[in-house]
Amino acid sequence: MLESLIGLGAVLVLVFLRMPIAIAMGIVGFIGYMELRNFRASISMVGRLVIDTAQDYGLSVVPLFILMGLFVSRGGLSRELYQVSYAFLGHMRGGLAMATIVACAGFSAICGSSLATAATMSKVAMPQMRKYGYKDRLSTASIAAGGTLGILIPPSVILVIYGLLTETSIGKLFIAGIVPGFLGVLLYLAAVRWTIMRDPEAGPAGDRTDRTGRFEALKNVWAVLLLFFLVIGGLYGALDVWPIHLTFSPTEAAGMGAAGAFLIALSRGTLTFRTTLAVLIETAQTTAALFSVLIGAWIFSNFVNLAGLPEALKAMVSSAGWSPMTVMIMILLIYVVLGCVFESLSMLLLTVPIFFPLVTSIGFDPVWFGIIVVVVTEISLITPPVGLNVFVLKGVIGDVSTGTIFRGVTPFWVVDIIRLALLVLIPSLVLFLPNSM
Amino acid sequence: MTGKGRVRRGPFPHRVGIDMSEIDEELGSAAYFAEANIRQPSIWHYIAVAPTWLAAFALFFMMGMTFLDVILRSAISNPIEWATELTRLCMAIIVFASLPVVSWKSGHIIVDLMDPLFSKTLARWRDIIIDLACGVILFWPAKRVWDLAERSREFGDVTEYMAMPQHYIGWFIAFFTFVTAITLVIRGVVRIVRPERMAA
Repeated sequence: MLESLIGLGAVLVLVFLRMPIAIAMGIVGFIGYMELRNFRASISMVGRLVIDTAQDYGLSVVPLFILMGLFVSRGGLSRELYQVSYAFLGHMRGGLAMATIVACAGFSAICGSSLATAATMSKVAMPQMRKYGYKDRLSTASIAAGGTLGILIPPSVILVIYGLLTETSIGKLFIAGIVPGFLGVLLYLAAVRWTIMRDPEAGPAGDRTDRTGRFEALKNVWAVLLLFFLVIGGLYGALDVWPIHLTFSPTEAAGMGAAGAFLIALSRGTLTFRTTLAVLIETAQTTAALFSVLIGAWIFSNFVNLAGLPEALKAMVSSAGWSPMTVMIMILLIYVVLGCVFESLSMLLLTVPIFFPLVTSIGFDPVWFGIIVVVVTEISLITPPVGLNVFVLKGVIGDVSTGTIFRGVTPFWVVDIIRLALLVLIPSLVLFLPNSM
Repeated sequence: MTGKGRVRRGPFPHRVGIDMSEIDEELGSAAYFAEANIRQPSIWHYIAVAPTWLAAFALFFMMGMTFLDVILRSAISNPIEWATELTRLCMAIIVFASLPVVSWKSGHIIVDLMDPLFSKTLARWRDIIIDLACGVILFWPAKRVWDLAERSREFGDVTEYMAMPQHYIGWFIAFFTFVTAITLVIRGVVRIVRPERMAA
């Protein structure tokens, strides 16, 4: 127990000194393992992990999904998604904010990053909302909050990382994310409505789009939507029908998604040799960075397990007589606090090796826990004082104070907490779909 | 963007997914990379770019192969037998061929929450020490991977379907880990002798 806590402290110190998280976790894990065993055992563990991780077939899902996201978003998808959502929702009061929410959900589902979504969508959605006289409070909040939505809607790289770290089925995690993801969209739309009801001036209605206009807007995104359903349908097993019989492993789904996205981009003429190369290199380098942290996290995790931290935590919990739900609420509170400081991925990597064994041993479902962890980390992105999405937005837009954004975000934050409570209290919301696979 | 809690820097943000704010305006990191080096293409330029291209090629190949594998399996029940093996090989190439460049360009995931606490001089020395330390540390795993590869060469281990000697992959991984280690050490040294070069 003590060794693990010292190790964790050492990782935090190194990380705050700007050492790459991968190397910080790796070196502390290595030294800790060496202290408990010997140099030879420790370096052997590290060497094998490096070789095996780099050649892990299951891990190939990571670059392929990133590649899919890059190919899809290269062709101006953010604008098109916004146009479609606007065509269907824009005429309502608060409709532009709702369109922003839906477009953000779609875009972040594909690109997999909350921060990138907030930054990108602000360029597309903000000018429109300003044109129609939306109050900054509502417009900025809908972008900042909307960006957090897609992380649960598959394909989600952060769920892949969770699945790999904990050896939980990635396919099941993806399917499990669907209902909570869409629930999030609905609740955010409700939050917009609530804001409008309290202050009708905040979001006036936009122009109505006629049927032809809606059809035109759909024409731009149907291929991407189809690709999305192909990938998810194939994973879920919904395409295993005559005559195609398509079922995908996560890697195959990712490969089909990436190849499909490449073909779509190619057919639309948005790809040149140079852009293709740029996308490929970008993906390879993101993958390399992600794999480094995975290897580091595994080394650290091996040390923590050898040091008996999971057992010590379990013993602590049982001697204190806490109920599983009490433990879960404590863990969630820890996440909310950590979320003020860390970005989602770093937080996941640092905490999952410690909490996961405890959580599963007291009877929680590993798939469910993965979804809950991701929901909590995403809530932290819009929680004061350091909600990162809010600061990204402030950085891009400039002339709106963070206080205004945080005030606007409050209703979204409240529905997020409601969603979290629902998912914690009714686990079948998460588990219903994956269990029916 | 305020510095508080920000977790990226440099042209290669660590990220899951992408940062469209940069890509909208330019072509992304590859263009940046090309631009940074293209003024006077020297032998070093090609040496630096070759692994990057190799990784890109391996990735594209892996995508195409997975696609074909699924199509062949579904359409004519005839999957590519060695697809799994080639995927594993591609993964090693994608990750390790990219690692030196990622390390050189600060592409690793870092937390810069404490940055406001460091003065400019202090930050410079912190970065020098971190770079040198990381570089030196990486020599051990590189050496160990090399030893494991040598051992598998002695045993004559080959892959299952293609019968490719396993130690080739081990050598590849070890070589690029060495290169990454050296890259980080050089970065630390450059920070000492030509701080303006790394300041950007």
